Amino acid sequence: MKTIKTTLKAVALAVMATTSLAQADTLKIGLAGPATGPVAQYGDMQKIGVMAAIDDINKAGGINGMQLEGVIYDDACDPKQAVAVANKIVNDGIQHVVGHLCSSSTEPASDIYEEEGVLMITAASTSPSITEKGHQLVFRTIGLDSLQGTLAAQHILNNAKPQRIAIIHDKQQYGEGLATTVKTFLEQNGTKAAMFEGVTAGDKDFSALIAKLKKQNVDFVYYGGYHPELGLILRQSREKGFGAQFMGPEGVVNSDLAKIAGEASEGVLATAPKSFDQNPVNQARVDSIKAKGEDPTGPFVFTAYAAVELMKNAIEKTGGTDPEAMADHIRANPLDTAIGKVSYDDKGDLTESTFQVYTLHKDGSKSPVK
Amino acid sequence: MTETLLYLIQQLINGLTIGSTYALIAIGYTMVYGIIGMINFAHGEIYMIGSYVTFIVIAGLLGMGLVSLPIILILALIVAVIIASTYGWTVERVAYRPLRGSNRLIPLISAIGMSIFLQNYVVLAQGSRDVALPPQITGGWTFGDPSVFEVSFSYMQALIWVATFVTMTALTLFISKSRMGRACRACSEDLGMTNLLGIDTNRTIALTFVIGAALAAVAGLLLGLYYGVVNPFVGFIAGLKAFTAAVLGGIGSIPGAVLGGLILGVTEALTSAYFPSEYKDVVSFSLLVLILLFRPSGLLGKPEVEKV
Repeated sequence: MKTIKTTLKAVALAVMATTSLAQADTLKIGLAGPATGPVAQYGDMQKIGVMAAIDDINKAGGINGMQLEGVIYDDACDPKQAVAVANKIVNDGIQHVVGHLCSSSTEPASDIYEEEGVLMITAASTSPSITEKGHQLVFRTIGLDSLQGTLAAQHILNNAKPQRIAIIHDKQQYGEGLATTVKTFLEQNGTKAAMFEGVTAGDKDFSALIAKLKKQNVDFVYYGGYHPELGLILRQSREKGFGAQFMGPEGVVNSDLAKIAGEASEGVLATAPKSFDQNPVNQARVDSIKAKGEDPTGPFVFTAYAAVELMKNAIEKTGGTDPEAMADHIRANPLDTAIGKVSYDDKGDLTESTFQVYTLHKDGSKSPVK
Repeated sequence: MTETLLYLIQQLINGLTIGSTYALIAIGYTMVYGIIGMINFAHGEIYMIGSYVTFIVIAGLLGMGLVSLPIILILALIVAVIIASTYGWTVERVAYRPLRGSNRLIPLISAIGMSIFLQNYVVLAQGSRDVALPPQITGGWTFGDPSVFEVSFSYMQALIWVATFVTMTALTLFISKSRMGRACRACSEDLGMTNLLGIDTNRTIALTFVIGAALAAVAGLLLGLYYGVVNPFVGFIAGLKAFTAAVLGGIGSIPGAVLGGLILGVTEALTSAYFPSEYKDVVSFSLLVLILLFRPSGLLGKPEVEKV
């Protein structure tokens, strides 16, 4: 009995010791994104990347002796919940955030971070308006919608060369923003889209839209939005014998598209961040993510990883965790990261595009278009 | 036939199918309302659960190597109906029966609570991602010159039309002819009096919920197969549209729910067909407001007689 008590005491002491240690030497990094909701898998990608970076840094002794800890906050890709999450992060005293994920969530949240002096790096939000407010503490490790839209439009004009183009979007900030960029770029180059229309996110029946596309003799459809709707559009197009070429943004690039659309997802084009997991530089990181039983191939895994790297480097170079000093450092000094060389313009946008055109396959994989 | 005409026919087929899917769910709403005068807001969630059960059963049976499609579908239907009915019965037991006789708003709120609970429960149990099923019933009829415009009408669409019509007829007959149906109508006339006359009103109301849930399961199976995708949030949107259809047709009337569903579906399809699809909901809900302005009790609803 006595031995048990002593052991218990020892364990209790040890636990107390580690907690107090952790309190003294832990830097908490907020990880904000959808952990639930229809686009939760993108939140998972971000989490995998951030946690991998944190593990690697901690294994190498932390930053100036500090261990990192990722704290997950769920905004469910809902702008209202994102505001609540941002306030909670501020109240929890966290000053460094990787996130949010959906542009519509990142935008309201970024206002709060800027005002409260929290450094925010989003690894996935591509809407241009996020960095147009002159925020000093807001960065991203992913290219803009406009870059992605322009790349898609260039591909349409130079490679696909369709006869009649339809541009469909889901009326949300991300999708409509992209669709508008594609439309504008095409028009500037003398090509007018035959159709430009919105669908409602969450709808299940697109038969009326597909009949209309068929009647318009459309042979190329650009879809600005996410995979659940595009998946159904593809599936129903196949059932109705409508065989145009489809193209989407990185919001449609995940294996669920193939699950929903089945055979119909074969050959769909999409712009997505370059496959950083294929880059030999990241081989060790890919292996350690795989060793944890997680998937390193998602488009946001390494952009999230790079966000943590940027924070680490800024802390080391500025010698502290002050968000404003870190922001100034990040803006002024390019850094080699898991996604290549990262350098920023005044707005906090990447100066180099990180997107590439891919062909998606029915087994959920993708291959780059040469 | 000209392209314009073929296109119109195609859009009418699409619209009637969308309408039938609304109608299938709306029948359940309207039945509960017709009998106890309350909106069962958890109905959409029961439909969603029906879809999930169907997917799980079909995936399970396919995994076990069963190949006969009719047997798979019948088994899936039976299991979905049984499980959804259990949920329907439980919803009534938990969220309605204890509140019987209280202010009408109270069970309404508890039903909304039930709906949120069920939605989140499925999120936790099944995950929030889309679950997909490969197409099971494929093929269909096509007509029209492919070089002009080819109209397609799939077997699945036909099945939905037939199912809606059969359900509507069977339910109307059940309510008007059977003994149980008579008890249901008595309950809707005067609950207290029916009780005094020796009819077990609690049992009758529970039965209404069970039938409503069984219908939601049928809808869950058909729409699950038709779209091939389900997530925990489909019930909310479908429920909203079906509720609109039920109100449009006259809440409480079963043929009204079907008519309302079809009108809503056709309006949506035709709006998408001839105007930008963005205006789909604007047009259909403006129509709802207009119809309710001129016929406040809906197209086939009976005007409410104020009891003195």
